[in-house]
Amino acid sequence: MSLEVRAAVARATRAVIPIWPLSSFIAVNPLGGRESEDFSVAAVMRPLSAFRADYSAGRITDVELAAVLMDRVPELDDAGRVTFDGQDWTAVDLLVADLVHGQQADPAPALPPAADRVDELVAKWVAAYLDPHPAWPMPSRELGLWAAWGAMARHDPQLPAKARRQLATLPASADEGLANALTKLGLNDGAAAKILKIEARRMPGWVGYIKWRAAQVGDIDLTSYLAVCLTLRWALGLPLPEPTTESKTELAAKPQTDLATDATRAATLAALLSPQPAASAALASIARILALHPPQDHAATWQSAYEEHYRRRLLASLPTTSKRVSDPKVQVVMCIDPRSEGMRRHLEVDAQIETLGFAGFFGVPIRFASYLARGSVDALPALLSPRHAVTETATDTVRAKLRTNALRVRDAFSAGVHASETAPPAPFALAETVGWFSGLATLVRTLSPSLAGAIDAAQLRTTPSLETEVTVATAFTLEERAAMAETGIRMMGLDRCAPLVILSGHGSTSANNLYQSALDCGACGGNPGAANARAGAAIFNDPDVRELLKKRGLPIPATTYFVAAEHNTVSDHIEILDPHLIPESHAAAVREFTAAQNTAADLLVFERAGLLPGASEQPLARLRARADDWAEVYPELGLVRNAALIVGPRELTRGVDLERRVFMHSYRPECDPDGTALETIMTAPLVVAQWINHQYYFSTVDKHLWGAGTKTIHNAIGSIGVLAGQTGDLKIGLPLQSVAVGDLDLHEAMRLTVVIEAPLERVWEIISRNLVLRQLFDNHWVMLTARNDPNSDWQRYSTSGWISDPLAVEPDTVEPLSLKPHDVESTEGDK
Amino acid sequence: MDGLTKMTKIEIVISGRDAPPIRELITSAGATGYTSVSGVSGLGHHGPHSGALLFNESDTLTMLITVLPPEKASALISAVRTLLEDGPGVMFVADTYVSRPEYFG
Repeated sequence: MSLEVRAAVARATRAVIPIWPLSSFIAVNPLGGRESEDFSVAAVMRPLSAFRADYSAGRITDVELAAVLMDRVPELDDAGRVTFDGQDWTAVDLLVADLVHGQQADPAPALPPAADRVDELVAKWVAAYLDPHPAWPMPSRELGLWAAWGAMARHDPQLPAKARRQLATLPASADEGLANALTKLGLNDGAAAKILKIEARRMPGWVGYIKWRAAQVGDIDLTSYLAVCLTLRWALGLPLPEPTTESKTELAAKPQTDLATDATRAATLAALLSPQPAASAALASIARILALHPPQDHAATWQSAYEEHYRRRLLASLPTTSKRVSDPKVQVVMCIDPRSEGMRRHLEVDAQIETLGFAGFFGVPIRFASYLARGSVDALPALLSPRHAVTETATDTVRAKLRTNALRVRDAFSAGVHASETAPPAPFALAETVGWFSGLATLVRTLSPSLAGAIDAAQLRTTPSLETEVTVATAFTLEERAAMAETGIRMMGLDRCAPLVILSGHGSTSANNLYQSALDCGACGGNPGAANARAGAAIFNDPDVRELLKKRGLPIPATTYFVAAEHNTVSDHIEILDPHLIPESHAAAVREFTAAQNTAADLLVFERAGLLPGASEQPLARLRARADDWAEVYPELGLVRNAALIVGPRELTRGVDLERRVFMHSYRPECDPDGTALETIMTAPLVVAQWINHQYYFSTVDKHLWGAGTKTIHNAIGSIGVLAGQTGDLKIGLPLQSVAVGDLDLHEAMRLTVVIEAPLERVWEIISRNLVLRQLFDNHWVMLTARNDPNSDWQRYSTSGWISDPLAVEPDTVEPLSLKPHDVESTEGDK
Repeated sequence: MDGLTKMTKIEIVISGRDAPPIRELITSAGATGYTSVSGVSGLGHHGPHSGALLFNESDTLTMLITVLPPEKASALISAVRTLLEDGPGVMFVADTYVSRPEYFG
């Protein structure tokens, strides 16, 4: 029975997507478990009224609606025409008119299940178990959730006496407990499977986090969680859980169109199009055409047209003739993150700077611990497991000792204050003694974030600096290091090296921001990318690695030096890392780059201010001080408005303002003779970009069900996640302030448009042999456009083959997508 | 098969992201170990599958192989059948013979 119970739980929660803790926030597609279904069936879209408003504003046009309809409704080719009131209408014109002027109302919005008594109690106990209070940890916690809860629940004053008596004699194990609860509730195998699935969907935040924690930590599992839920339901005599909106959608058959409905639609449309009553034959013809595109398909058509508008504009903006930088003096390799696009564009104002895009972990997946640090971070994509531990060794042991001592004193002080805050009587004494100083510090940080930031910086400067090297040479064998370097070269098409090559990871800084790690590097596991950049530079500079690369036909000139760096996405400064390792021969080039970068940084901060709420009139210093302002809920806008991934050489995009909306991975087919590099790009960076894109999509479309709601009422549960208020489900997705300002969406909810310049046959083969890609592309979770080379036409991917895409290169005739600054300013008060 | 002991061999091919619950079932069933081969390639019900991917362990297929005494195998087989009932993945069950039965519980 035990195994059967565990199997039933695993089956019921198969579609649950693990949710990472806030401390290493990983963007995920919350509906990733349903990628085997078509997007239009599994997902939700914006309301029809929002699409119609976009149509009125020119954001969607008749041309795009017609193109999408021709694509989605192949029967339109043979659907004929209708003439009434002296006017000739094609079938597609009628369907466009029906979309724009029809009376279809929005379906009822998806609502989260109403919290019931069981949810409240379970959320309380799970939070107590997973985030133990330092002074009052949950008793018997070491025995696991089921046993610890069982020991406490019988004394829970929130439960009626009868329920407490029933909970006094529970089975010893969670497996037996769940089996017992299912039996007491009178559920046989089939009914039990259904109820387990429904119960697991009631609090997707906790369930997703427990799934992650079961795999990564192992101190809780979903069997225990469901055992507690259903045991409480039985003990309290509550009814079985109702299906959530999502499961109701699954269980209910999709509404079918019928003749009466089509006839009604036809009459309504005809009346809108002409004041003269249409003949019955014409009405019948209109009804027949409208039946080809039933109302339940309208939202998907609008969504596709909304995306088509952007896709056409993007492709039309790409240069038709491209010229590569002839002899770059510096190459800057940055993460594919859309925020890098702005920096790359501004850096390339200097014609001798060439930039490339690569996944921000630079192909070096590591578990990293800073010098003498107690903990470590998994600095690698969530698609991988950490296998190599890297740390730092000090190059100057005397200074290292001084620094360690200074940090220990500071740590001891912090630990003492923290202990005084949490020990039962101590906070009163703490307030009397150091409260004045805390009050002063609070005042400074509140009234002058810039000064607070300067004080923090001064404090850092007084700490002896530490010169270290990452231990990449001991964590990986020479062969492994050479393989990583070769992979990097082939993936980003690094077919030549400038004298100075900068590998720049990225990270973000902000004060009082529970979602800070959501602004860090996704490819580095929601951590800043400095460690991976340092490891990558160390590998590329390694003479033994270079020797092996040379034997493989990938020589790196002896005059080339790789420098690690980190792009701060709030200040837009690129900090040079490990400066003590830079040889004198390259010091001047690094200084010259830093000067150019400072100019680029200022320009980019001003550019970003156009979209940043309340920022358009702020001076440069104040814009950067957002990082230190603990009242600022918009320190930066992260990956908002991300919309596309471009895989190809930089010539494909250089000189184009892509509005910081595009993930960009460099690729040159000639560096990838067997297609392995492209397959790696498509099965890893593309998949991660899709996760991020869908996280933004769903957090925008439903800010409370799939997003985390407003930050202003968030309460942190340790470093696990946040609650909206004091109890309930763990919030999933991004907060409102990541995607919107008040009622104005900053993010445009679009599926990722993928653009690849590579041999089409190769792209097709890669998709064909990878289920993850087949599901993403064939089920329309991601859109793909590709071309063989710069001289070929763009082709759209479809399950039946490549489709020539002449629309993609038509001149753009629509208004820019950018939000006007005044639109943002007008709603700033909502933040 | 003189001197060898009859056991049951169970092989399960499943996506990498769905492998953890299968591993848990195997250990819960009393198996003393299993072999896990990640990145297996081939052609199946859902079409072709490439082998190992360089930066993605979640979306490739994993083959889990375990050997255990027949009296312990039936519960595991039943549980895996339940788990695979409406999802991707296949299970192969066969008799096998081992020279050191104490290794397999």
